[in-house]
Parts: sequence; C-alpha cells; structure tokens
Amino acid sequence: MRLQSLSKPLLLLAATAIFSGAGHAQEHSYTPSDIEAGRGLYQANCLGCHGNTGSEVEGANLASGRFRRASSDEELIALVRTGIPGTLMIPRPQLSYGDLRSIVAFLRTMQTNGGVAGNDERDVAIGNPGRGEELFFGKAGCSECHGVGGGGSRLYADLASIGGQRSPAALEDAMLDPQKDVRIGQRFYQVTDNNGTVTQGLLLNQDTHSVQLLNTDEKLQSFLKQDLSEFKFIPTPMPSVLDVLSATEVADLVAYMISLKGE
Amino acid sequence: MKSALKTVIASMALLAAAASAQNITSERLLNTEAEPGNWLLYHGDYNGQRHSDLTQITPENVGELELQWIWQQRSAAGASQKFEATPLYVDGVLYTVGAPNDVVALDARTGRVFWTWSYTPDTEARVCCGRVNRGLAIHGDTLFMGAIDGHLMALDAASGRLKWDISIGDPSLGYALTVAPLIIDDKIIVGPAGGEYGIRGFIAAYDVETGNELWRFNTIPGPGEPGFETWADPEQEAWKIGGGSVWTTGTYDPELNLMYWGIGNPGPDWNGDSRPGDNLYTESVVALDPDTGKLAWHYQYTTHDEMDYDSTQVQVLADIEFNGQPRKVLMTANRNGVFYVLDRTDGEFLLAEPFVAVNWVDGWDANGRPNMVRAPSPEGTFIMPNNQGATNWYSPSFSPVTGLFYVPSWLDTYSVYTKSPDGVQYIPGQNYVGLYPTMAMPALSVRPVNQRLPEEGIGAIQAIDPQTGNIVWRHEMANVTDSGVLSTASNLVFAGGREGYFYALNAATGEELWRVMLGGAIANGPMSFEMDGKQYIAVAGGSGLFVYALPDE
Ligand code: HEC
Ligand code: HEC
Repeated sequence: MRLQSLSKPLLLLAATAIFSGAGHAQEHSYTPSDIEAGRGLYQANCLGCHGNTGSEVEGANLASGRFRRASSDEELIALVRTGIPGTLMIPRPQLSYGDLRSIVAFLRTMQTNGGVAGNDERDVAIGNPGRGEELFFGKAGCSECHGVGGGGSRLYADLASIGGQRSPAALEDAMLDPQKDVRIGQRFYQVTDNNGTVTQGLLLNQDTHSVQLLNTDEKLQSFLKQDLSEFKFIPTPMPSVLDVLSATEVADLVAYMISLKGE
Repeated sequence: MKSALKTVIASMALLAAAASAQNITSERLLNTEAEPGNWLLYHGDYNGQRHSDLTQITPENVGELELQWIWQQRSAAGASQKFEATPLYVDGVLYTVGAPNDVVALDARTGRVFWTWSYTPDTEARVCCGRVNRGLAIHGDTLFMGAIDGHLMALDAASGRLKWDISIGDPSLGYALTVAPLIIDDKIIVGPAGGEYGIRGFIAAYDVETGNELWRFNTIPGPGEPGFETWADPEQEAWKIGGGSVWTTGTYDPELNLMYWGIGNPGPDWNGDSRPGDNLYTESVVALDPDTGKLAWHYQYTTHDEMDYDSTQVQVLADIEFNGQPRKVLMTANRNGVFYVLDRTDGEFLLAEPFVAVNWVDGWDANGRPNMVRAPSPEGTFIMPNNQGATNWYSPSFSPVTGLFYVPSWLDTYSVYTKSPDGVQYIPGQNYVGLYPTMAMPALSVRPVNQRLPEEGIGAIQAIDPQTGNIVWRHEMANVTDSGVLSTASNLVFAGGREGYFYALNAATGEELWRVMLGGAIANGPMSFEMDGKQYIAVAGGSGLFVYALPDE
C-alpha cells in the first residue's frame, strides 16, 4: 500500500484535538473550544510581544509549558491578570476569569496546538506503538539519527518528549515531507571556503560577518564570511519515508512518537 | 617649565569652559552650527539632519578609532528596556538616560559619573513597546526629561536636583512620554505616546521655568476644530480615543518659524471600522507655529490607516536644489516603506518613492493622496512592509555634503493583518488595537542567536537620493536594525544593528571602513562631539555607552 493512498477510511483511530501539554499542564486537560477561544484572545492581547510561537520574549518562553513565576493554572491566571510590575506585562483586569482560563488552555497546549496559526487539524492514522518502536530502532533507521532520551546524534532532535510537543498530523508531516516546515533551531547550513572545501552542519548562529555551526562531525566550528565563496541554508538530512514505508508502518511510528511524553 | 605653565593655562581655560557649561541660551540652540563640538539638541540641530561638522575623523583614519571608555547603565537592557537615548554633549559633560528614566551626567573625558538621578515611574505606567527614553533637552542650566508615566521633569544640570515635575496625562489611560523634548525659545514641547491604549494625542508647550502649559494642539481634532469631519462615525465617539501619539522629536525651521512633527497611528490600530474617514492628523506631518501651536499645514502619509504605520519618523529639513530649483524641503522615510519629499513652506507634495518592498499603495494623485490597495480582512491580508515597519524610531541622517538621505531599514518584511469581525471594545487603560498582525520578524525580540531564513527579513542602512528617491547604496546586515545614523562632514556615516556591530561607512559609496562588535543591540542614534581638540563618537550598544576617538599622537 502506498502512502499517498492513506485516507480517512483507513483510520484506525481518530486523533482528538485534546492534548495535554508538558510538565505541570498535565493537571488538566483542555477542551478544543477552550483552546480555540484562547487562541483568539492570545492573538488580540499577547501576540504582539510573545509572537506566533510564544517564544519571542527572552526568558519568558510561553510555549515551553514551564513558567518562572507560576506553576499551577490558578497562578498563571493570577499572573496574567495582575501583570509583572516594571515590565511590559501590564495588568489585564478586563479579561474575565473565563477568558483567562481559555488563555491558559491555549498556553498550556502551545507546543501541540500549532500556536497562533493553529494546527493542520486533519485526522491521521495512528497505529500500534509497539510495532512503531520496533521500526524506529530497526528497519526504519530513525535511531541512526534521533535519540530517545539519549543516544542518537547531537545534530538531530532527541525525540523523548515529541509526543507532548507535536500533533499527530505534524508528526506524520515530519516523516512524509521533512523539508516542508523545518523548525527554527533544526535548520542545516552549508559553507564553501575559497579553496572549495565544503562544510555542512546544524546552523547555531550567524551574523553579517560570521557563521557558527555544529558540523557533521558534531564539533563546534565557525567561519568568517569573508573567507567563504558561498554560504546558504540547505535541505535537512531527514529522509522522507514516502515510498519507503507503508501507510501502516507510518501509522505505527506516529503512534510510537505520540507515546513519547518525556517521562 | 614653559610647557608646565602652558598646561596650567590650558586647564584654567578648561575650568572656564566648565563654568559656562550650564548656560544654554536660545541663541546657542539657534546657532548650533557655530559650535559643532557640542551636541545640544536631540538631533544635534533643529533641522534633524544628525550631521556633524567635525572632520578630525576621516575615511582615511577612521580605521584607527580606539575605545576611550564605556559606561554601563544601571538596569540591563532587554526586550522591555532598550537603551534608546541619544546623549547631549554640553561643554565637557555628556548627559544621557538609562532605561527607563535614570539620568546621568558623565565626564566626557573619562566616563566617570558626575551625578545620577533616578526617577521611579508610577507602576500604572504602560508602554506598548518598551520602557524606554530617547533622551533629554537642555535650556539655560536646566535639563528636561519625559518619563514613561507621563511626567515631565526639569532637573538642575549641575546638581541633578529636581526643579519641577508635572504630569501631562494619566498613565493608567496609557499616556506616556518616551520622546526627547524639543526646546524652542522658553518653551518645552512634547507629546504623549499611547497610540495602543486609546489616548487622544496632542502636542503641547510648557514654560521652561514653571512647567505651566502654554498651548496645546490636539492631534485628534474635536468638534469645531478643522479636521474633525475626518472622524465620521455617526456616534461621534471615535475621536475621543483616536490615538495620534507622538514619540520622536519634532524639527524646527527658525526662519519660517514652523516646527514639524510626525503623528502616530489612529486607534484601534488594526480595525478602522469604528472610525470611518481619513482620521486626521494621525499618520500625518503637522507644521505648527511654536509660539501658538497653530497649524500652518499638514500632509497625511497614510489615510485611514489600519496597519499601525505611525508616521512619527523624523521630519528632516534641508535647503536643496530640487528639480533645478532651490527649495526648502522636508524629507522623511516613513514606517510605511515610502520616502517622501515635501516643500516645507506649504506642504506641497514633491516626491514619494518606496525604499523597501511595499504593496499597500500603488501610486499617488497630484496632491499626494495615496491610492491604497490593501487593508486588513477577516481572512487575513498579506501586507508589506510588516507592522514594525520599514523603519521606526531610529533616526535617519541627511548629509548636505553628499546630498544623500541615510535610513536604517528593515528590508522586504511582511505581516498578515487579520480584522476581527466583532470590532474592538475600548476599555480604559487596556490595549485598544484589534488583532495583532503576525510577523516573521518580531518587533521586540533581542535574541542572542539568528537562525532565521533571509526571506524572513534582513536589515540595511540605505542611502537615498532625494532628487529621485532612488537607492544609491545599501549596506546590508544579516539581522534587522534599530540603530540611528550619524553622518559627518568628512564623508562618514556611522550606524549599527541588532547584531551589535557598529560601522563607519563611506558616505558616498557605502563602503565599510571600520567596524566593532559592541556585544549588544544598537537601538539609538550615534552622535559626535569635540573635547580639547579631539573628536569623539558615542553610541549605545546593549546596556553600555561606548565612546571612541583617534589615538593621541
Ligand atoms: C507589551 C508586551 C507584552 C504583551 C502584550 C504581553 N506580554 Fe507577557 N510578558 C512580556 C514580557 C516582556 C515578559 C517578561 C517579563 C520579565 O520577566 O522581565 C512577559 C512575561 C509573561 C509571562 C511570565 C513567564 C514566566 O516564565 O514567568 C507570562 C505567563 C506572560 N507574559 C503571558 C502573557 C499573556 C497571556 C499575554 C496576553 C494576555 C501577554 N503575556 C501579553 C511582554 C508582554
Ligand atoms: C539522516 C538523519 C535522520 C533520520 C534517519 C531521521 N531523521 Fe528525523 N529529523 C532529522 C532532521 C535533520 C530533522 C530536523 C529537520 C527537519 O524537520 O527536516 C528531523 C526532524 C524530525 C522530526 C521533527 C522534530 C521536531 O522537533 O519537530 C520528527 C518527528 C522526526 N524527525 C522523526 C523521524 C522518524 C520517525 C524517523 C524514522 C522514520 C526519522 N526522523 C529519521 C534527521 C533524521
């Protein structure tokens, strides 16, 4: 069976939009309508500073699911209502308790809810996690690159918490079309020096005059752009499993990754 | 023996200079070109050119610049608090402001502190985009500062003691001062920020001795005032909370006795349904008589704005040949991505030319009215430039030597603007904006790493030929810039960016002549001064003020 034919009738299990976020978030689950309402309120009140993904304010990454100044939902509600004196976080007394609960639902699920843009909400097939684990460490070759709570390479994301961070549809996309939405922090870069030597690696940083890579030997290496004949982003090494694995196998891998919640 | 005596005499002369330090008369402010060694006004001069006549540092020797000293402001710079102030230099003393409202008088020779004075703003203060201050003004022996809680203060320049303190607007309703005040004669002139909180903006003059208000020009006209008809909601409520903020310092032409202020966005920012009409004088330049506050003329850059393109960028004045005719022009590079030239005697529209990728306008009629072709929509509209704009508070520069206009630019950015069908509710003191547009390149982020794709936006210092609006050169940077620009009579341009590099460029060609890494974002305007025959360049990067000069022979 070819993957392109993977379609709704084949679904073994429909993914629901209810995810529990990482860490403390597990004290609650949030309904899709809470999250949806929270998304709208976030866009109206918070997006300008905290950004589409919640990670734009240094030291206050809302998408991390952990907050320096609050742990319980009630503490978060109080924090957003009263603000943080002396910072741009002003009090928001106009937000009702219900509004604040929705915002918290949105914040707590931000790793999986797709942020302001929202997720591709399409249903995807979710198979057998045990078979998925076998594939991951066996024939599918995933573990050659990705660790799960250790192992794997420094160049690639450790997937130990991926199930708390991505929706099933995003996990399927990551395997079928890896170049479609490469997350910031996982982008690959290539430089060619004036002698024609090519180096590739994970882009850690760059500025007008220099590039900082984790090269493919997993060593930190920097370059001055003046010594380079070319420098550019390149497609990442993540291979697509389209045409390689069957739809059932993909569904099994999705199921395995959903089970990875970092505990 | 002889040389020792010389030193004694020289230091006596210095003492004399210091003694006259705190006497900045109106005449001195009107004749800043007579003392290029000082930097007495926010822009250096009334004309807003940020052009220094000092020529000791040249394209040939700029590569030898050496760090003289660094001063670290008290509170660390970050997303909430950028170091945006341009220092004043007055006869040996540098005066500047660390965020949010910490004033300091520094020994310009050593960077040691003469005195500090810290103001603790009311906790009710709310500012959209940072607890910042752009600088001070000086008159007589008095410094003036606006604070983020809407207080305007006079400080004794020798002791740092408070002389008077007034409130120009209720901070809990969003009235804030981030602008460096403008001094004309015995008046101190400012206007409030707060365009994201439903303020009703104004420009007002206060007596330098007492702080008494002398006149007020409402940037949002009320019933009976001309322009009121451009607020056409049937309930006639929109104007009361219509925005029209002020947050960069106006410029002044003493001959015409007119000053020029850029006015901010209408509120709510991203949904204009409640405020049909052009919404004067938002998004406009207003030419005002500083004696009375009377409006001589206005020109609106963006009509009925729903993109938050505040037109507060500096309105730079110059006397140039334009189309072969000598003309008193006003030039501005607007946040909306367009460079404009107007005749500043009467506001005649002379030229409009985009300086970055722009898609909201596809032309102008003979009077300069833009033909606007994009607006926020319920399904989301892709609009260039992005909401932070092609440029912003960062001061541009004009060099009469090269005839070029230098503007810090964010190249080719975009936002998706979505309009909520529900309209926007006004709640006193709360954001009155609509839905925030999305931006690939965020406004406030000062991240230590850059892993963005180039198409998400990069920065540049661009040189524009005012005759045509053409870009003559462009110095690109891998990240965007919030830095101001300084040009000098020896054909240098100084500017930097978020990465922390500070550059000296050839003013005619843009060629990089010198650079240094300051380790923190440059978010202010560099300036130059002369002390004891030596030219200095001062610029803030991160939380520090860095001062450079050529080595002693
Ligand atoms: C004007 C900019 C701005 C807006 C708008 C804004 N914030 Fe913040 N927020 C900040 C800044 C800056 C901080 C970090 C303050 C600090 O630690 O210095 C922060 C901190 C926070 C924190 C604390 C994080 C932690 O780890 O403790 C939370 C939670 C938060 N914001 C949620 C929100 C929510 C929800 C909204 C919308 C209702 C919002 N913010 C709107 C600027 C803003
Ligand atoms: C050659 C190394 C390599 C192999 C083999 C590989 N990946 Fe990846 N993977 C990457 C890279 C590089 C990225 C990041 C860039 C991207 O998303 O394209 C990535 C990203 C991902 C992501 C998204 C991570 C995130 O934070 O969103 C998932 C999920 C993933 N891989 C799963 C798998 C699975 C399942 C397999 C086995 C079928 C696999 N990968 C095989 C290199 C690899």
